[in-house]
Amino acid sequence: MIRFLVSRGVWLVITLWAVFTVSFCLMRAVPGGPLDRERRLDPQIERNLAARYHLDDPFWKQYSRELGNVIRFDLGYSYRMADFTVNEIIAQGLPVSAALGGAAMLFALLLGIPAGIVSAVRRNGPADRILMTAATLGIALPNFVIAGFAIILFVFLVPIFPAAGWGTPAHIVLPALCLGAPYAAYIARLTRTGMLDVLRADYIRTARAKGLSPAAVIFRHALRTALTPVVSFMGPAVAGIVTGSPVVEKIFAIPGLGVHFVEAAIQRDYTLAMGLVLLFTLLLYGANVLVDAAYVLLDPRVKLR
Amino acid sequence: MSNRRQLSRVLAAATLLLVVSGMVVALALVRPDRADFTFCNGTEIKTVDPALVTGQPEGRVVWAVFEGLTSYHPQTLEPLPGVAESWEISPDGKRYTFRLRREARWSDGRPITAEDFHWSFQRLLHPETAAEYAYEMWYVSHAEQYTAGRVAVGDPVEIELPDRPPGAAPFARGTVLYGRLLAVEGLGSVPASNDGPAADDAPASGDPSGEPVYVVEIGGRRRRFQRASAVPRDPAAEDYDWLLYDFRRVGIQVVDPHTLRITLNHPVPYFLEIVGFYPMSPVPRHCVERYGYPAWTKPENIVCNGPFILKSRRIRDRIRLEKNPYYWDSDHVRLNSIDVLAVESAVTGLNLYLTGSSDWIPSVPNEIVPDLLRSGRTDFRPAPYLATEYYIFNTRRKPLDDARVRRAIAMAVNKQEIAARVLRSGQIPAASLVPEDIAKYVDYQPPRCEPYAPERAAALLAEAGYPGGGGMPRLELLYNTHESHQAIAELLQSQWKRSLGLDVRLTNQDWARYLASRRQGEFWISRAGWIADYLDPNTFLEMFTTGNPNNHGGWSRPEYDALVSAAQVEARPEVRMRLFRRAEEILLQEMPLIPLYWPVTRNMVQPRVRGFYPNILDIHPLKDIGIDDIGIDAGDPTARGSTMRNWCVGDRPWPWW
Repeated sequence: MIRFLVSRGVWLVITLWAVFTVSFCLMRAVPGGPLDRERRLDPQIERNLAARYHLDDPFWKQYSRELGNVIRFDLGYSYRMADFTVNEIIAQGLPVSAALGGAAMLFALLLGIPAGIVSAVRRNGPADRILMTAATLGIALPNFVIAGFAIILFVFLVPIFPAAGWGTPAHIVLPALCLGAPYAAYIARLTRTGMLDVLRADYIRTARAKGLSPAAVIFRHALRTALTPVVSFMGPAVAGIVTGSPVVEKIFAIPGLGVHFVEAAIQRDYTLAMGLVLLFTLLLYGANVLVDAAYVLLDPRVKLR
Repeated sequence: MSNRRQLSRVLAAATLLLVVSGMVVALALVRPDRADFTFCNGTEIKTVDPALVTGQPEGRVVWAVFEGLTSYHPQTLEPLPGVAESWEISPDGKRYTFRLRREARWSDGRPITAEDFHWSFQRLLHPETAAEYAYEMWYVSHAEQYTAGRVAVGDPVEIELPDRPPGAAPFARGTVLYGRLLAVEGLGSVPASNDGPAADDAPASGDPSGEPVYVVEIGGRRRRFQRASAVPRDPAAEDYDWLLYDFRRVGIQVVDPHTLRITLNHPVPYFLEIVGFYPMSPVPRHCVERYGYPAWTKPENIVCNGPFILKSRRIRDRIRLEKNPYYWDSDHVRLNSIDVLAVESAVTGLNLYLTGSSDWIPSVPNEIVPDLLRSGRTDFRPAPYLATEYYIFNTRRKPLDDARVRRAIAMAVNKQEIAARVLRSGQIPAASLVPEDIAKYVDYQPPRCEPYAPERAAALLAEAGYPGGGGMPRLELLYNTHESHQAIAELLQSQWKRSLGLDVRLTNQDWARYLASRRQGEFWISRAGWIADYLDPNTFLEMFTTGNPNNHGGWSRPEYDALVSAAQVEARPEVRMRLFRRAEEILLQEMPLIPLYWPVTRNMVQPRVRGFYPNILDIHPLKDIGIDDIGIDAGDPTARGSTMRNWCVGDRPWPWW
């Protein structure tokens, strides 16, 4: 286990460096920069600004300075929100996105797993058909469509939730619902497939033959193995959901990281974009390591190497 | 097995704990109670440091927490006394003497003096600050030289030695020496030049090759200065941080603690508006030097002088403003607290407005404007706005260098169709670069360009040698990705095809890339928009002078340049406007641009809001806004006959998705 973690740690550093280098080159290669404005700056003022942000240095000097800063965990000041460091922006945005993502994930699991179990056990019955149609819809409908319906329903027709914003538990419900819906649908399908495979396995037949109750067979024996695909899906899904969804955050005006991500790219906010890309890499990598570790706990046949 | 089960339970519990604690953390930073007045500000602001901001959302906040020498009347936009209670203008229009009010204080109780303004203007103009709006102060004598770091032999100069204490906050200055520049010696290749602007870009440029040596007379002694990084280093030279024109000779003088004198290069009729413009607000030296930028802008550190103070700030969420008890006119400030929401999406803003969570939204989504207009709502009234949407021609490329071709292309544009079919929200088809509505505020009546005439356009194109569009290269129309820009571009594409037989390709690029293409002149025809900074035709016409950074099409006419620069320095208003008009006539005969339409404001304001007036710069000082919870005051133009009923299903407003 320790060897596994150490080797993953080494690979993490290499991955982060590679992601840093590629992002750095891509950002500089794309036309347009953080100093471009609708009304063009006076050349002298533009020179002064470039000097202030060291944009007038040669490429390699910029690269080594940035890399040095990143190694010291100093991501610098955002170009676009100049009063804040990238670290401050992440510190304020990540808990918001994480809370929303966590709530959405919780909702997705609470809805998806039972739905998957039910439709696997009642295979081809009416319950299965209804649930799987709903799941297909959930995957097919984009976030913003669901959000539109949710807002019409629960903000205007039956006004129980606020239209947008952040700060009270009521604010979290609708966005978590919209963000979690496709995940719930996906998890339901994964659970169903996993469950169907397992239910046909020999050891389940043995369990049944021993006279265990159907509930005990499903929950104690089948479910844990059937959830393996769900767990491997959860790794990247958690990393993605925790760093925020630009669409849902924009519609509900939530101060999470998702909108920052998109805006940083559009506005060529070099420092913020870099910080977020590295953060996402770290989270994705961390989530995948956790998933690998979780396999051991769920499936006795898996060993870490 | 049981071990594993325990582990998995621990893992599940840990995950749950993480999620719950995350929610608690996020929700623990909850909002305070509801503010008196809440509005959507469009986006997160870049900064609250007045010297560094540009843009309308930033302006709304900066104007609420700072106040310059003058302020704007919310309706007529006349300059009103701000920190300055009165002023005198010399008969030649070049010298302004401002008398500051003695009761003006910073939000920590310290008095505001002329010295504060002097220091703030120096900070604004200093190249290290890199203020984007510094050019607005270049009307002040020698100010441009100071920002540009341009010094000539014989000039008085200031030299800042590189002895700032380590870790000093930016703009806490090291030792500053004052002297007279005797010579500029370019070591080796660059000879010392004595004529004209000698060392054009020397101190500010980062070019290490041939760093010149500055010979300066200080207190009767000759001293030599050169950057330590210079490659052939003069051994006798001292290092320096900044070598600039002596700021004491720039036209901003402290006469006494409550009198400030500003001397201009030439008369500027709108200078009182300029000093009220938000970048020209004073900043507290004691606070800026203590914390440095940007730490001084944090709510816990900031000291300001406007009607409101910055109470708290959450990124991309909200800014809470509260009434400033030290503000000189705080008796007339009607709101105790304001929430500024950083809502990016216009649809979300509208939802917040319709559910009563926002009192003012500065724009509504394009698609619903026709419905809003039809509904007869009185809380939505588009008003004229001093801005122009237009296309520019790249006159460096053939055949767009031929005025006949440009005129033909422009004459084939049916602007009525744009307004009626695409925009549909009261925008006015533009016949000139300067919006006609400026005439309501200043005495300027713009000339009109040739009207829509497809047959004449075709004839003109044939005359230029391209009958029926034959022989023309394939033109490209560049615009930034946006629904309405795209719709207009498609409409014009079909209009040009129909009347001139021209095939125009459409190219859309994301914002930053579009700006870069335009800057580098990589386009045939490009979309552009311009919003006036102040109430004067100059803000538009200056743009098309030779060498102006915003003259992307490269059009150049000496007569035009001469007329604009003559108008800029002209003191007599009627002569000045005549010169501008003559210049715009040339512009509209040559057509380096196609004026398309004049946009309108799209404010939506709840009927309970008082003191909100439409005006042509779309400036709405928060100081003048009040809230009326009692009922509708028939005398107030913003509240007459609210017709919410048209808009409701039952008693609830209807969403506009």
